[in-house]
Amino acid sequence: MADRPRRWEPDSRNEAYADLDHPADVFLEIWGDDLSVVFENALFALYDHIAELAGFGTGHEEVITVEGPDAAAVLRSLLAEALYLFSTEGFVAARAEIDVQTRPAGEVGVTARLDGEIVDRRRHTLFTEVKAVTYHQLTVEKTAEGGWRATVLLDV
Amino acid sequence: MQRISEWIWELPQTGGMRVPGRVYADRRLMDGLSGDQSLAQVANVAHLPGILLYSMAMPDIHFGYGFPIGGVAAFSVDEGVVSPGGVGYDINCGVRLIATGLHEDDVKGKVPRLVDRLFNDVPSGVGSSGAIAKLSRRELEQVLVKGAAWAVEHGHGRKDDLERTEDGGALPGADPAAISERAYTRGQDQVGTLGSGNHFLEVQCVDKVFDPVAAAAYGLDKGQITVMIHCGSRGFGYQVCEDYLEVMAGAARRYHIDLPDRQLACAPVTSPEGRRYLSAMACAANYAWANRQMIMHLTEQALLHALRISPKTLDLRLVYDVAHNIAKLERHEVSGSSVDACVHRKGATRAFGPGRPEVPDCYRAVGQPVLIPGDMGTASFVCRGTDRAMTETFGSTCHGAGRVMSRSQALKRAQGRAIDRELQSAGIWVRSQGRKTLAEEMPEAYKDVEAVVGVMDGAGISPKVARLRPLGVVKG
Repeated sequence: MADRPRRWEPDSRNEAYADLDHPADVFLEIWGDDLSVVFENALFALYDHIAELAGFGTGHEEVITVEGPDAAAVLRSLLAEALYLFSTEGFVAARAEIDVQTRPAGEVGVTARLDGEIVDRRRHTLFTEVKAVTYHQLTVEKTAEGGWRATVLLDV
Repeated sequence: MQRISEWIWELPQTGGMRVPGRVYADRRLMDGLSGDQSLAQVANVAHLPGILLYSMAMPDIHFGYGFPIGGVAAFSVDEGVVSPGGVGYDINCGVRLIATGLHEDDVKGKVPRLVDRLFNDVPSGVGSSGAIAKLSRRELEQVLVKGAAWAVEHGHGRKDDLERTEDGGALPGADPAAISERAYTRGQDQVGTLGSGNHFLEVQCVDKVFDPVAAAAYGLDKGQITVMIHCGSRGFGYQVCEDYLEVMAGAARRYHIDLPDRQLACAPVTSPEGRRYLSAMACAANYAWANRQMIMHLTEQALLHALRISPKTLDLRLVYDVAHNIAKLERHEVSGSSVDACVHRKGATRAFGPGRPEVPDCYRAVGQPVLIPGDMGTASFVCRGTDRAMTETFGSTCHGAGRVMSRSQALKRAQGRAIDRELQSAGIWVRSQGRKTLAEEMPEAYKDVEAVVGVMDGAGISPKVARLRPLGVVKG
């Protein structure tokens, strides 16, 4: 984990997440060695569907803070906040630094420090209008191998 | 699944289902649904309180959020519920069909020029904005209350456009106070924009007339050029849905509504939460009607410029505008008595029959026009509402082809191919913001629209009136 935060590169896509088959929407499976990596990779997956990430630099910072009763709820809120920032400001992150706090009762808090750029339609390529981050088949689980796996469905 | 007629299949009432499920399909479409979770979704919807007659699905059914896409469910206003999941994120995603005074010969060789101009003048693509100056809060509130009439008042269209729009282009009961700050922020600069995904703006030609009487009433003739707009309430509607899914999750617990799937979260129609959602949903529906009215205006300007003809020669006229994602309070006959119902159409089209007061005067004798877009390589259909639809499906029918292939599958299939050139060789000129969208939306990713429309025609719910062949397409 020492090399984080790193810039998201298309080359690292296959280690971060996969698109599962779904007839109409984007169904994501996301992996990570710990919760913070899962959250980071989930943000990567979201932005990777919105835009051609290779064209995005850094310099514009945003911070998202979310809390919730469990990791799945927090994952959804985090992505929904990122989508809101994109929808209203055109902000696309090129990297993220994630801080996860797990409370004794199981609640989870996440602070995501995002570094990216505001979309410039002359330079950047946009792909898909993500309408929402849904609650459908929303999971965050520990795997048998000791890592983490999450699934989330984007309505597009 | 029991086949009860050539076109109707029944899901028997079991467990907590309050009514049976009914799916309109032919054998082939039904076979295609085997192993699909959407049929389980039809059964889940049948569990909700106050559901009337059946939990229904049209032949373009596919898996949706809680409720299936292609789903129709009516709930008694007194005892039933309203659910944002039964409407969807893109509130009042819908279709507007515009007729012109032009014939196919008039645009021969000019389609690329037309499409380029439309592509240039109507903002499209992810997060598209800026068709008009950013709206102030007060102005946006006017949009939410007045819908299409707001655009007409600002010179973007004519008064009789409103008569030819479902609900006159504005649902009553829209309450700007039911809208979050976030929705206001997302909505301020997207009126007059197409968006991306399956949304499109298409130049078409009437290539077949099935019902000359209804076609004449709708002002459609073989060889005529038409324009179809498919889009919805943009980020504003998505935010309204997002906001109210959270409200409804709490409401369902408070009212002790037993949900087989959390995503069916709902509240009694008459509860404060239910009423407030309907008020917010009406705002989003009206936003969508203003949006399509504005796009029609931009389309008219673009066609006039590209063809350098007079408005009189262009003779643009709205045929009709329908909602595909909406919940509405309507009165229906159920088992011989008149019932106030909250009809959810999620990926379904209202198809009111002749004589209904909601159908505009000019079409009342033949029934409401039903607009069903196909994929961009095939065809779209104009159908008409019937008495049969009123008695069987709460005046509802299918809404489109429905996807069969996931986006990632489509992308794989499109590898090494140029979808735009393939379409071009079929005589269809396409412009798109992104090659990815074009690949995801390739014609083979969709069900056969002829088969889908054929089921509802065969079942006597919405007979075909005319077929529209695409000549040029703007994709978001």
